[in-house]
Amino acid sequence: MPDWRQEIPSREELELLQLERLQSTLNRAYRQVKFYRRQFDEQQIRPNDIQELTQVARLPFTTRTDLSHNYPYGLFAVPLREVVRIQSSPGTTANPVVVGYTVSDLRFWRELTARLYRSADVGKDDIVQIILAAGLNNWARDLKDGAEHLGASVIPFANLNFAKQLMVMRDYKTSILVTTPSYARHLIDVMETMGLVAADFSLKRAILVAEPLTPAVRREIAAGLQVSISTAYGITEVLGPGLAFSCPHDDGLHFSEDHFLPEIVDPESGAPCARGLPGELVITTLSTTAFPLVRFRTGDVTSLQPGACPCGCPLIRLGDIVGRCDRIFSVGGIKIHPDQVGSAIQEILSGHTPRYRLRLGQDAGLTYLDIEIQMDEILFSDEVKCLEAISRRLRRYLRENLGIDSRVGLVEKISPGSS
Amino acid sequence: MLQIRNLYAYYGKIEALSGVSCHVNQGEIVALIGANGAGKTTLLNALCGLVQARGKVTFHGESLLSVPPEGIVARGISQVPEGRQIFAPLTVAENLALGAYLRQRRGQRHEIAADLEKVYALFPRLYERRQQAAGTLSGGEQQMLAIGRALMARPRLLLLDEPSLGLAPVIVDSIIETIVNLRRQGVTILMVEQNARTALSIADRGYVLETGRILLSGPAAELLHDRQVTRAYLGKDYKEFTEGR
Repeated sequence: MPDWRQEIPSREELELLQLERLQSTLNRAYRQVKFYRRQFDEQQIRPNDIQELTQVARLPFTTRTDLSHNYPYGLFAVPLREVVRIQSSPGTTANPVVVGYTVSDLRFWRELTARLYRSADVGKDDIVQIILAAGLNNWARDLKDGAEHLGASVIPFANLNFAKQLMVMRDYKTSILVTTPSYARHLIDVMETMGLVAADFSLKRAILVAEPLTPAVRREIAAGLQVSISTAYGITEVLGPGLAFSCPHDDGLHFSEDHFLPEIVDPESGAPCARGLPGELVITTLSTTAFPLVRFRTGDVTSLQPGACPCGCPLIRLGDIVGRCDRIFSVGGIKIHPDQVGSAIQEILSGHTPRYRLRLGQDAGLTYLDIEIQMDEILFSDEVKCLEAISRRLRRYLRENLGIDSRVGLVEKISPGSS
Repeated sequence: MLQIRNLYAYYGKIEALSGVSCHVNQGEIVALIGANGAGKTTLLNALCGLVQARGKVTFHGESLLSVPPEGIVARGISQVPEGRQIFAPLTVAENLALGAYLRQRRGQRHEIAADLEKVYALFPRLYERRQQAAGTLSGGEQQMLAIGRALMARPRLLLLDEPSLGLAPVIVDSIIETIVNLRRQGVTILMVEQNARTALSIADRGYVLETGRILLSGPAAELLHDRQVTRAYLGKDYKEFTEGR
């Protein structure tokens, strides 16, 4: 466990630190990023008008659309020569999300991810195995970097099938499994078919990331793998999983307030919500230098819990992510906007958009996107082969571009409740 | 120990500090760095009540801004001003005695004598020249005297303004060593430096100021490493900023 008294002495000191970091972030953003300067000027706000943390509510929001409009480097606050990593992820708009990191950004990020592990009681003696889908490559790398920074022995993600992963897990005596809830459930399924039981492994703990975890699934995984469970929260726009993390008391996720300022706002009006009430999570970065974000709307609906945690960590707790306030949904931890699937279908069908319906499907614990496309005159072909080709090309397109698994059915009439 | 929130300072109508927030913890060396005119010295002067300022400054929980300069010294903050500002015609010993002026009035005779011995132990050169007029000392010795004089007030927080200014590199090294020694003896230090490399090499944390605003803050080792980033913020002043003059 981290020694919190060492890291964050008191609430008062934390708040001064946040204010200092907020003010210097705003100074940098205003000075270096045209977008923010324009936004602030339009609202007639200067960075030094923000003299209290609560006054952050006066600043304009930043949305995923803003990120897309400033693709690729428009929101970078340092020249490219200072950027040592340029990371892109498919994002949920027309353009990918591009995030830049300076050397010190990467260093502090590794420390944050290591803190996530420390809070889960992971140490140098642990063997950490990371099993994540290809669409979560960025997460996989950050989780690897964080565990290495901590000094644990890491088995990074490798393109092995689940049976091989299990073999590695057993033979290498993995103690910490890092994966998504759906992958964990699938692993339990594969264990059963291979005739393996939890006692064959040396697992202590599973750190489940990228997807919300329901209590039922949590119990199922804890029982199936005979492990304690930790969770973490993050978003691609501020890189991966160290944003919030669970503690042994497991009542909410501690939000890394020393480096990010959280707010909960009403998704409709944008007004701040009272402490404890659910709303949209909005994040302002306090420490990142290359890619500062001011009041970024995550779209995740959650709450900030009042009261101190018995674990002694003074960082405020984030409640469960109870939903989205936009149409973005998650396929096995990878966030997708329905329009992205729509434009994929259009692309495959050379501009034609038939009626279609999206659903999430489950197969042996694995989540996939189930797409039903309604046949019409343009689509219709006597040749089954042509129809099969459409389905195959769409599946491949989604896997290559968004990193998700899908099944595509061409049907005469899509089932009711269509989208 | 020292907490500063939204500090503004003015020279007449000119705003020299535009909402600075920063803090110094007990036992730390904190460096304020930035190019000429960034507001570093103004910040120290505002702390000492020497310039007109508004905002919130607390030292051990007590507000400082309405306290007159001598009250600030009495609370345990001493400044070593830029360019030393020693009393040239007076002897070294007299200069040091003046540093303890407030304490003499309170009759702390024995404590003062003990502190004088400590200063001489820290700077044997000053002991050798105790009867010499301060104006005849070399630049490095004058800097030692200025630090010694500030220590005579027995400060809990020492403010150092450009301690390396105009000194030969070898003298700078010995001043720096002294500063590290002082911290070991429990003195907390807030230092202002244009020579960022020197300051960051001994500081725990640093703040980068530009035109009265803080642009960057963090562990000194990181800021030192991030000279490249700093260059991005400080543009053409970069050389002056990282290499001194």
